[in-house]
Amino acid sequence: MPTSTLVCEGFLGLAGASSVGLGMPNLPVALVPGHTGVQSKDVLRRNILEVTLDRVVGNLTSPPKEALMEDEPAARAIVCKGSFEDVNEYFEANELSDGLPIVPPTRDKVEAFLRSTDRDPDEVLGIMLPDSRAATVWSVAVNGVMAGCRPEYMPVLVALAEAMADPYYGVEHSGNTPGGETLIILNGPIIKQLGFNYTQGVMRDGFRANSSVGRFWRLYLRNVAGFLPHKNDKATFGNTWRVVVAENEDILAKIGWEPNCAEFGFPAGTNAVCIARYTGGNHISSVSGSTPEETLPYIADAMVRQHSWQLMFTVGQGMGTLRPMMLLSPIIAETIAGWGWSKRDLKQYLYEHARISAEQFSRILRDWTMKPIWDLKEEAMLGRIPKAFHESDDPKRLVPMVWEPDDFMLAVTGDLMRNSVYIFAHNGVLGYPTGKAIQLPKKWETLLEKGRRK
Amino acid sequence: MADREYEALWPRSPRQVGVKPLARRLDTLKGKTVAQLWDYVFRGDEVFALLEEGLQERYPGVRFISFKEFGSTHGSDEREVLASLPRKFKELGVDAVISGMGC
Repeated sequence: MPTSTLVCEGFLGLAGASSVGLGMPNLPVALVPGHTGVQSKDVLRRNILEVTLDRVVGNLTSPPKEALMEDEPAARAIVCKGSFEDVNEYFEANELSDGLPIVPPTRDKVEAFLRSTDRDPDEVLGIMLPDSRAATVWSVAVNGVMAGCRPEYMPVLVALAEAMADPYYGVEHSGNTPGGETLIILNGPIIKQLGFNYTQGVMRDGFRANSSVGRFWRLYLRNVAGFLPHKNDKATFGNTWRVVVAENEDILAKIGWEPNCAEFGFPAGTNAVCIARYTGGNHISSVSGSTPEETLPYIADAMVRQHSWQLMFTVGQGMGTLRPMMLLSPIIAETIAGWGWSKRDLKQYLYEHARISAEQFSRILRDWTMKPIWDLKEEAMLGRIPKAFHESDDPKRLVPMVWEPDDFMLAVTGDLMRNSVYIFAHNGVLGYPTGKAIQLPKKWETLLEKGRRK
Repeated sequence: MADREYEALWPRSPRQVGVKPLARRLDTLKGKTVAQLWDYVFRGDEVFALLEEGLQERYPGVRFISFKEFGSTHGSDEREVLASLPRKFKELGVDAVISGMGC
């Protein structure tokens, strides 16, 4: 079927890079000058009729250019021989690193990583868009070496690559405009076995396991999925990668709350990773009160304040896919749980109290961000969204931020003796929460012991 | 002390797609049926209306199938929407597709 793809000026580079990954490097696109979001009706009309129209006609009626694909190295090819500096110059020049020095991925180092998993090096964990590359166990090891991981982190890295390749997560959206960055949350005994920080400064660099695994994520996203800035990664501003957040499972056990991995059906004690993309986050300080009733109004208010355009994932583009994440410091979780509240009770409270006026909801999406024509009343009457979004015609009525209480996600971590929470604004369907169990090799204890001796 | 020489491996992995040939282009749009696909952002509704106006002026008889017929190509049900396209194109007698908005 002949096609023409309408592409704004700033996205022509991305269109070119994506079409190569899809095996259609000559896919014709029609230029839309500038960006439609800031154009008057007159300017938009002129641009479309005087520029885009001709391109569309050409795309649909003229033979496309010859399709050419560049040759690439073989899967296990040595691409550079030289000193540490030579290797780093090569990797930087060929867009294979994140700008920081990498550990040269030599065969002996890669093989050490492969000894930390029972998986076949050639096993394909999934196909990564937009580059359509195979996520192999081998490539996980190579990028893990580069990131500065220890070999025994390999089971975590494999689980992360599996999660990244899961269609449910939607890795292909990772280069979108808001530049949301993935947060990895870790559960299970492996937290302590590998020395992940799960207390004070849990999101701070300074802990090799948390930092290097977080760096691995971004390197893998770049090298295998294909998200390079100025090409497939079109984040307007972007973020650097996040270090891994490990939950404080001692506190969870003490207060009887399930770990975050239970969201994905993994019981307490399971080694598991959870990934989701968040556009922003904010520390909420001085959460005060000795009862849930005293503490939670501030948290519910803060939850609303961290979200704006992201409501498009509640009603609009995402339709019930907004999953806000909140980290609670241990004493806040203990205070709430001390009154007999479960995680589910807390989620229910947020569902009922973290609300926004229907008028504001509509204003953000329809008027301010020019999202498509929709109406809470119409959507509710057609049964496309829950009735809670239209219980009356009063524009001042309060509507929920999410479809169900369980859409809120909670994790307990951070400084043991501080009264804070941290709230992440979620990216909806463009990085949906996905969990994977971590498979340990049969000789895990021996490998750990070897690692400790080093 | 001499610097060690490293033999560094390629960190990517092979692409799993080869070149896919594109469909033959049309001789003219006159009398043809053109489907509109939209990701429901960046004023695509206005852009498609303008393109309809311009194409109808140049190619009398060109017919359009609105994006409303197909659903959003970039949302929570995008996989279902994309999977349904070949069948819908066939049923609706679509000859060509315009897809937007890449912004």
